[in-house]
Amino acid sequence: MTKPVLDPVDYAVISQALGAAAREMGAKLVRSAYSPIVREASDCSAALLDRLGNVVAQAELIPMQLASMSETFMACARRFPIDELEPGDFYINNDPFEGGQHLPDVFLYSPVFFEGRVVGFGATTAHHLDLGGGAPGLNMEATDYYQEGLLFPPSKYNMDHDWNGGPFERLVRANIRVPDQTIGDFNAQFAANEIGGTRLIELYRKYGAETVEASMAGLLDYSERRMRAAIAAAPDGVYHGEDAIDDDGITDEPLVIKSTVTIAGDSVTIDFTGTCDQVALNLNCPFSSTCSAVFSCVKSILSSPDIPFNEGAKRPFTVTAPLGSLLNPRRPAPVRARMTSSYRAFGATMRAMAEAMPEAVIAGGFDTTESVCLSHLGRDGYRIYLEIFGGGYGASANADGSDGVDSPLSNCSNIPIEAIDMDYGFFRVIDYSLREGSAGDGRQRGGLGIRRAFRILEDGVTFASYSDRFTLAPWPLFDGEPGACARTRVLRGEEVIEVGAKASMTLMTDDVLILETGGGGGYGPANQRPADARAHDEAEGYLGSGRDAAE
Amino acid sequence: MRVGVEVGGTFTDLVAVDGDEVRIAKVPSVPARPDEGAFAAIEAAGLSPGRIDDLVHGSTVSTNAILERKGARIAFLVTQGFRDILLLQRQSRTSIYDLAYAKARPVVARRDSFEIEERIAADGQVIVALDTAATAAQIEASLGAGDYQAVAICLLNGYANPAHEEALAGLIHERFPDLPVTCSSDVTREFREYERASTTTLSAYVQPVLDAYLTRIERQLEAQQFRGHFSVMQSNGGRLPPEGMRRNPISSLFSGPAAGVIGAVKCAARSGHGDLISIDMGGTSTDVCLVENGTPGMSTETEIGGLPVRAPVLDIATVGAGGGSIVWVDDGGMLRVGPPSAGADPGPACYGRGGADPTITDGHIIRGTIQPESFLGGEMALDPAAARAAFEPLAARFGMSLEEIADSAIRIASSNIVRAIQLISTERGRDPRDYVLVPFGGAGPLHAAQVADELGIDTILVPPNAGVISAYGLLAADYVHHASETRRLTVDDAAADVVRRVFGAIKAREAEGLADLGLSGKLVYAYMLGVRYVGQAYEVPVSFSEDEIGKLTAEAMMERFAAGHRQVFNFGDTGEARAEVVNFRLSISAPLGALPRFTEIGDLAVDSRDATIMDAGEARSYRLMARTGLSAGDAIAGPALIEETTSTILVPDGWRAETDAHDNLVIGRDERKGRPS
Repeated sequence: MTKPVLDPVDYAVISQALGAAAREMGAKLVRSAYSPIVREASDCSAALLDRLGNVVAQAELIPMQLASMSETFMACARRFPIDELEPGDFYINNDPFEGGQHLPDVFLYSPVFFEGRVVGFGATTAHHLDLGGGAPGLNMEATDYYQEGLLFPPSKYNMDHDWNGGPFERLVRANIRVPDQTIGDFNAQFAANEIGGTRLIELYRKYGAETVEASMAGLLDYSERRMRAAIAAAPDGVYHGEDAIDDDGITDEPLVIKSTVTIAGDSVTIDFTGTCDQVALNLNCPFSSTCSAVFSCVKSILSSPDIPFNEGAKRPFTVTAPLGSLLNPRRPAPVRARMTSSYRAFGATMRAMAEAMPEAVIAGGFDTTESVCLSHLGRDGYRIYLEIFGGGYGASANADGSDGVDSPLSNCSNIPIEAIDMDYGFFRVIDYSLREGSAGDGRQRGGLGIRRAFRILEDGVTFASYSDRFTLAPWPLFDGEPGACARTRVLRGEEVIEVGAKASMTLMTDDVLILETGGGGGYGPANQRPADARAHDEAEGYLGSGRDAAE
Repeated sequence: MRVGVEVGGTFTDLVAVDGDEVRIAKVPSVPARPDEGAFAAIEAAGLSPGRIDDLVHGSTVSTNAILERKGARIAFLVTQGFRDILLLQRQSRTSIYDLAYAKARPVVARRDSFEIEERIAADGQVIVALDTAATAAQIEASLGAGDYQAVAICLLNGYANPAHEEALAGLIHERFPDLPVTCSSDVTREFREYERASTTTLSAYVQPVLDAYLTRIERQLEAQQFRGHFSVMQSNGGRLPPEGMRRNPISSLFSGPAAGVIGAVKCAARSGHGDLISIDMGGTSTDVCLVENGTPGMSTETEIGGLPVRAPVLDIATVGAGGGSIVWVDDGGMLRVGPPSAGADPGPACYGRGGADPTITDGHIIRGTIQPESFLGGEMALDPAAARAAFEPLAARFGMSLEEIADSAIRIASSNIVRAIQLISTERGRDPRDYVLVPFGGAGPLHAAQVADELGIDTILVPPNAGVISAYGLLAADYVHHASETRRLTVDDAAADVVRRVFGAIKAREAEGLADLGLSGKLVYAYMLGVRYVGQAYEVPVSFSEDEIGKLTAEAMMERFAAGHRQVFNFGDTGEARAEVVNFRLSISAPLGALPRFTEIGDLAVDSRDATIMDAGEARSYRLMARTGLSAGDAIAGPALIEETTSTILVPDGWRAETDAHDNLVIGRDERKGRPS
């Protein structure tokens, strides 16, 4: 190994400091936010970018959002050049076809000035509870993105002129349903960006521009080097995998996603040729989301979790998907439920990699963002509840899948029941438990899904949700058993109303809404499961038939 | 005579103070039976328990019981529908790219979790009443069937109205009078059910272990004619009689690091310093804490082994940079220090117990900052050749000399400590330059100047006998008790009166419990409100003195809160945004009368001479001397290496050390040399 150009101590110290600054931004964004989806569920991300917009350090919050920080930035910088930025300016972008994810994830970038020039950016994104659109929180009927909420095309505004009571803030405030929470979350994002900027300036002051910039570049190279070393250790070859979404929300036809992974030396190419066309409703996956899903999948399989994920880590990857397909749709496709398709791109790629590295992959888990929105318009305005549910993880060669955990591309916390009790009077959670009997059996079993029941306390509550794996079960690996499918139903008196995976409906007082998310698939034959592991599951009641019998 | 005995992972330390006489002892810990180590230390110091007036003890018994899952078998009672909250946790993962992710294992089995038909609302109203007869039968059946040693109860919104938890505890007590019961409302009165349930179950889990341990010590003391006061250290930096600890066992976690901070605070106070940053460098990690005006920062959010704990603890940040931390190169070629550690066994390579990995202690030997012949007063033999052999591969890889690579590793360890300090200072809106650095633990004073340089700190204060400050902290600690309550209160014109009323009620309630423990007389109260803007979920702590609470107005609350919010989050105003109080915390302390003296013990012989030391990339000659060679008022300019029995102090070029009138060694910038840029 050649001696690094940078002093190893400066390099180690500055790298640590950049990572710490990003973590601080993320932690403070969560702690000062207003909406439950950010402050309790942590559906947000934070990063520090170098002066060209490369992500150099990130807070590890939501894998999905992190991988598109740079693309979303570049779309702004192309139109509003970096060297024309002035103090107080910020970039904003949530356009799914300009590097963004879905509309609720709004990316904000604040330039950091040192000695009169831009030296980097503080960047954050947060899932905003409501950005207008055709329904509070979540519009399941949208047939284009205009119906999904406000679009912020890649733009530049100024804090003093446009925000802080200015025309842009007023425009946004006037078009959203719960402005206090949403604007509060925007302000928490701006403040977190500023904190990142302060930390970056401290580093520039202490070490000088040359050393900090060399360290930033070194950090990108470092992640690239570690990622390439991990890829090089994987067997060269061309591998195929496939996964599918239950249906498109209109017909019963599964939506098939095909992944071809080519490992050649220290590079990986992932191609989605053969994937189905884009669809009428919101399952379309913007290309940047497709890329995020794939980076996260391959990084998780190949490399140790402590490789910092930055632009350098992405260099060994090439991702392609046919334009007009589900994974690279054309404007103005609705994209709100793009996580569903992202997970199947993740799953198809995981299955392809299972051929290459059977010991490093996991079986199919619930692998779905079950997004659940309950809203109510009362005398004092809208109340919107939004929560994200995971389920069971797929099992791996040496471990059972994790029980009741958010799915791999996301990392939302639950909202404490006591926080829900404080904030929402129109429903009450009456059950939150592991879903017994939902794990796929195997030498290693899958994780258990989640069960959640709500009692509705007012007439006219709107329920909207997107989910998946209601008909196509989480797949096992190497002769294991599949996990249980997810299910949603409403108990109304004696009546049981089965609700689809992609649905909205109006609920009435005393309705009971029951969500059951999927379990993970097993790994290896069930008859090889150690007796003590099975006895433990039995004693703990994991194998039971659940509460349904008692209902 | 006052005696503090602190049981650590490797050594058990003792400090005894009797008038002007100070004794210290350091003996190997007995991990399986920590009390044996404690009594061995008393013996090693030549003390007989009959002569001790005040004995204060700190141990890792509770911490280890949790980390090793050796606590009691407990039953957990929870609201109908929520049996799995300990397993579901917060649904999130702490490592986002780990496919084989495993959650931290709770201390209660699922089969030992029982649901109770009842429900209380967020405002404390009863939605589903407790059916006493049915519940009694259920409890009899469930608890009677298991071999339980303790019970934890956490009901939804039990923080707002503990009636159902108390009723359940009563039902259990009637049927199983010997079974200890822990209610969540007694452990922490704050919302978020998972975190509160976790804290409650941990408390119940360690309670029987701690009880048995304390009983063993009490019996042993009695047998040895001990007639003084016996008390135990808490994680909040205060001590309590054993009976108080049995009531609130969760506060026994992390008591070791807390004792160190208190020792530093008390030593620095004698020299008139109250704004401090403490550095406690141990074998596997380093703990840092920020102290303002003599009061260490508090936090109510911590965790142990991945399980959340919501109880007031000193706000200590820990980083894996201790003497045993391993120096390594990752697969991207970056030089790293810790968190893996050689621990106490095998320990650093130079211990000669089979350790082959290079550690920070080995690095100090190579660059000359630990002189093998005087390590631990010369009582422990070190093997410098083994230290050098361990660093050879790293030196070859980076094309550096052994001294250079060892020095690089030490600088990275120092910068890891700097990161931890930033976590509790800059990230909390505090400027470290406004504080005095107080290093202790064996190697803390070796890294202090480097850390001070990084942070721009001008003054370092090294307390006497710096290697046993935690044990001194025990005997110098006040009696402290914390109480809290969650209650939402909008900050408006009526708020100040409500605040006074709520605190008045907490005070009356707690005073009774304290009187039971024999704590009365002059009590000092500190008041803290957790405040947030309406709609937020996390509170900013806002502190008030007794006097300020008396004169409190809504404007004063709002102003102080907004300033605190701005300091941490970079935004916050007193204008349109409404604020609400969410919790009330009262700290009650019974201060010791006079602070026990602490003087450097003088049994280390060091020949004054010069030695070559590599520091910050530069090799030069250092003056070597014993700390006891510097009497009050004596000063020495760096570069110098000052040895004491339990620690070593590095005074680099540009710094100047002086023993002050209180036996603290104060190291400042050497004005004649000017400040480094």
